[in-house]
Amino acid sequence: MASLGYYLLLAAFVVCAYAAAISVAGARRRSRALIESGIGAFYLLAAIMAVASAVIVYSFVVGDYSIRYVQRYSDSVQPMFYKLTSYWGGLDGSIMFWVSLLSFFGSAAIYVNRERHRELIPYVVTVISVVEMFFLFLMIVHNNPFQTYLTESPTDGTGLNPLLQNFYMAIHPPTMYLGFVGLTIPYAFGMAALITGYLDDSWLRAVRRWTMISWLFLSIGLGLGMIWAYEELGWGGYWMWDPVENAGLLPWFTATAFLHSVMVQERRGMLRVWNVALVITTFFLTIFGTFMTRSGVVQSVHAFGDDPELARLFTIFMVATVVVSFGFVIYRLPLLRARNELDSWLSREAAFLVNNWILLFSAFFVLFATMFPTLSEAVRGERLTVGPPFFNQWMLPIGLTLLLLTGIGPLLAWRKSTVQNLRDSFLIPVTLGVVTAVAVALLGVRVWTSGICFALSAFVVGTIGQEFWRGARVRQRATGTDVFTALVGLVARNKRRYGGYVVHLGMVLIFFGFAGEGFKQKEEAQLKPGQQVKVGSFVVRHDALSITDDGQKQMITAHVTVLRDGKPFAEMYPAKWIFRKHEESPTTEVAINRGFAQDVYLVLATFDAATQTASIAVDINPLVNWVWMGFGLLALGIGIALLPDAVFSFATAPLPANAATTALIFLAVVLSQGVALAQDTIPAIFRSPLERQVAGEIMCNCGGCRLSVSDCGMMNCHGKSGQMGKIQQYIAEGKDHDAILATFVREHGGYDVLMQPPNRGFNRVAWLLPYVVAVVALLGVAFTARRWSRHEAAAPDAAPIDRELDARLEDELRNLD
Amino acid sequence: MSSETSTSKTPPASDVHVVAALPSWQLFALAGLVGATIVVFVSRGQSPAAIILLSVVVFAAAAVGAAALRTLVPFVRGYEGLSVSIVGGRARAAIDREKTLVLRSIKELEFDYAMGKVSDQDFAEMGLRLRTRAAGLLRQLDAGAAYSTQIEQELTRRLAEAGIAAAPRADRFCTQCGTSATATARFCGQCGHRLETA
Repeated sequence: MASLGYYLLLAAFVVCAYAAAISVAGARRRSRALIESGIGAFYLLAAIMAVASAVIVYSFVVGDYSIRYVQRYSDSVQPMFYKLTSYWGGLDGSIMFWVSLLSFFGSAAIYVNRERHRELIPYVVTVISVVEMFFLFLMIVHNNPFQTYLTESPTDGTGLNPLLQNFYMAIHPPTMYLGFVGLTIPYAFGMAALITGYLDDSWLRAVRRWTMISWLFLSIGLGLGMIWAYEELGWGGYWMWDPVENAGLLPWFTATAFLHSVMVQERRGMLRVWNVALVITTFFLTIFGTFMTRSGVVQSVHAFGDDPELARLFTIFMVATVVVSFGFVIYRLPLLRARNELDSWLSREAAFLVNNWILLFSAFFVLFATMFPTLSEAVRGERLTVGPPFFNQWMLPIGLTLLLLTGIGPLLAWRKSTVQNLRDSFLIPVTLGVVTAVAVALLGVRVWTSGICFALSAFVVGTIGQEFWRGARVRQRATGTDVFTALVGLVARNKRRYGGYVVHLGMVLIFFGFAGEGFKQKEEAQLKPGQQVKVGSFVVRHDALSITDDGQKQMITAHVTVLRDGKPFAEMYPAKWIFRKHEESPTTEVAINRGFAQDVYLVLATFDAATQTASIAVDINPLVNWVWMGFGLLALGIGIALLPDAVFSFATAPLPANAATTALIFLAVVLSQGVALAQDTIPAIFRSPLERQVAGEIMCNCGGCRLSVSDCGMMNCHGKSGQMGKIQQYIAEGKDHDAILATFVREHGGYDVLMQPPNRGFNRVAWLLPYVVAVVALLGVAFTARRWSRHEAAAPDAAPIDRELDARLEDELRNLD
Repeated sequence: MSSETSTSKTPPASDVHVVAALPSWQLFALAGLVGATIVVFVSRGQSPAAIILLSVVVFAAAAVGAAALRTLVPFVRGYEGLSVSIVGGRARAAIDREKTLVLRSIKELEFDYAMGKVSDQDFAEMGLRLRTRAAGLLRQLDAGAAYSTQIEQELTRRLAEAGIAAAPRADRFCTQCGTSATATARFCGQCGHRLETA
């Protein structure tokens, strides 16, 4: 089977090369036969990759341990489900999975568009094929998943990393890859348009839907990754700005920017160069993200390890991509010239410009901060850590500004808004926001960022509600139906706009959940059976400890009762699983009791089987579930935007059936996990404010988590207890905050023990550059906008429209929707 | 389960005429079914998952065959050049597209006005500007007339090639300029005169 697989990969490479070459030849010679053959070859590639995928999955299922990849990422006792998902559990397989997905996705895109965009298709085939060739080449020369053991082969595998044996981890990579892979399609169409010179808006139409689909997968992929981190890593949070997470976020930012600015081009014919550049950048970032995480350039929990050869190959490919793509953009600049005119700063175009500026800045900042340690090592030979505190400091204001814009943008009209309109449309949302702000302040919320976030959320909800309401009323007056029918008609008539608003609502929910972070409570306590600890309004009682075994792993489970106001609240079972083949890294099985107001999140940190003592970390995470619900709503919104017109055409199906089902399934999947798995009160382990502060700034040296000491999920880890002990010792010695940090740096021998680089020397670049870039970009936006707005007032043609023509115009307008 | 699949889905193999008339992909689907049946028979005793996957392999292989055929067939089948359709229609399509864009902008403006986002003055001014532009585009489209005649000719030719007689055309003519019109047209394609709807 192994050699069959390898030959299939070779065949795929040949077919790919054929498809690329024959398509170019066909397009240049205008030969339909050659072009059709190229399309056929692309389908052939997809078919071959399907066979190869089936072969490798078969090898996993029957346990063919003579194949290295199979041996390393599965074993015989693994459940069937995880045997299937081991396909993408490692580097080699994930590249192959990537290639397969791209060929399937590409085939679908080509099949759908083959008639509509006949002039672009040959080059689309070429571009996708060339991208595929690179990855196939990578597999053939460097990362062959079908490589076998030369001499004797082992009888059993080493097993998939236990951390990856989680439901969300099984479905998170495919969705993420679908998002990444999907973004190749817009790139291919964009490049085809550049190559052929057919740069009118038709390629955008082909690309829009595919970008939306990819964006949906990317968003859901990010969401699933967050759920996985939350459930499996056991540190109580869901986002830690790990390089791999950032790699997924980068193209998300640029794709979001593209989805917004594409509207400006459609509506106003502006921003043509910008949109092409965004598509290229997005594609580049997907490749760069893969490069960053697969080649070991940056340190990360997900990274597959150091691989300079892979890094070299990737670098060549990326440089070639950038040079060729932007080379074509420059070559085609004359054709991309657009009628740019900006009537007013108070217009939706201007709001989109600002939106793009912020999103692009976010992408730049995340990229820069992720790469900074590597940069610093290259320039000064000093490895640093850029941890969550640094990111949060920056992304918090950026996120809030973006949320504010989400509320402002829809209220502005295209071209020009007047003071009167502004007063009219801002009144309700702003009132709502202010009322919320006051209420939040009166309720005694002292976390100002969360307070602002709540107020802004209310503002945005007000905006969107008002848009729906007023739109429905206008429609109602125009059609004379009831409000509900008018609402459905409204959404049906402009699915993208109102679907987009639903997506905005989803974002509001996500932000609402983020704001809950500000009220997080975290305690840790060593409990004997019968003892309990109080955290916030909850009392956590440890009842017993049980140890069981299922052949694959040993499971230590704590039986815990949670009480609220003296009444039983939940039975929970936090656990530690020790997998046979990975005894050095036991997995944390978190017990979560989900609720709309908060999650009670229990982690069994350490245990002593003899005395039945368990050390339990208790996190009270407010509002977390709103984040997951936000992702559900986001999927619903995209679903509405993507629905074909036919769904709305008959009145019996007024609701977007598919979308609702999709979202419901998603929500059900998310919420079905809601049931939690896992007498004298003793105080929680006391930590002084200084100790908490320092613990948040020092990195745990357990060697794998890359989190701060206070966040490391492995609570029995030698690194954490050692560091904590040191911190306590220094505090006892009477050292102040700075002195403690200095001592840590001295003892560790480098600044990378700190979660964020100190603000001096070369590191100042890390602190300054983002400001500089932000300001320069803002000036750039302002300058362009000024230039565009200085057009001469276009005098309407003096020629009056004759009545005949006017009637025709009216008729066409009536027929438009 | 597998034997059930093979008996229920395999068309009667004796009927050679039916098979010969099948599109090629159905032949390959058939081959896949037969192959899968053989695989299931040969690999009795393996776990169900393995058998299913082997069947998937066989089916994918059949797809490879179909796709390979798809790659080669274009060389055998003749295609006339595709250059004809693209070049001429391009500029016109662009104008047409722009027209739709402008019309949409008008719609959008009216909607925004109804939502109270645009002042009366702005509405009047921008509306006039857009309508003037749309009218200009309409005139431009009219100037490049004879286009629909071209399409008609091309259509008739293609239909004749395919051996289908062209659909009988509605005998309606514009009362103003005498150009023929389709049965459903409400305006003359040549001069824009409003036609009497029957």
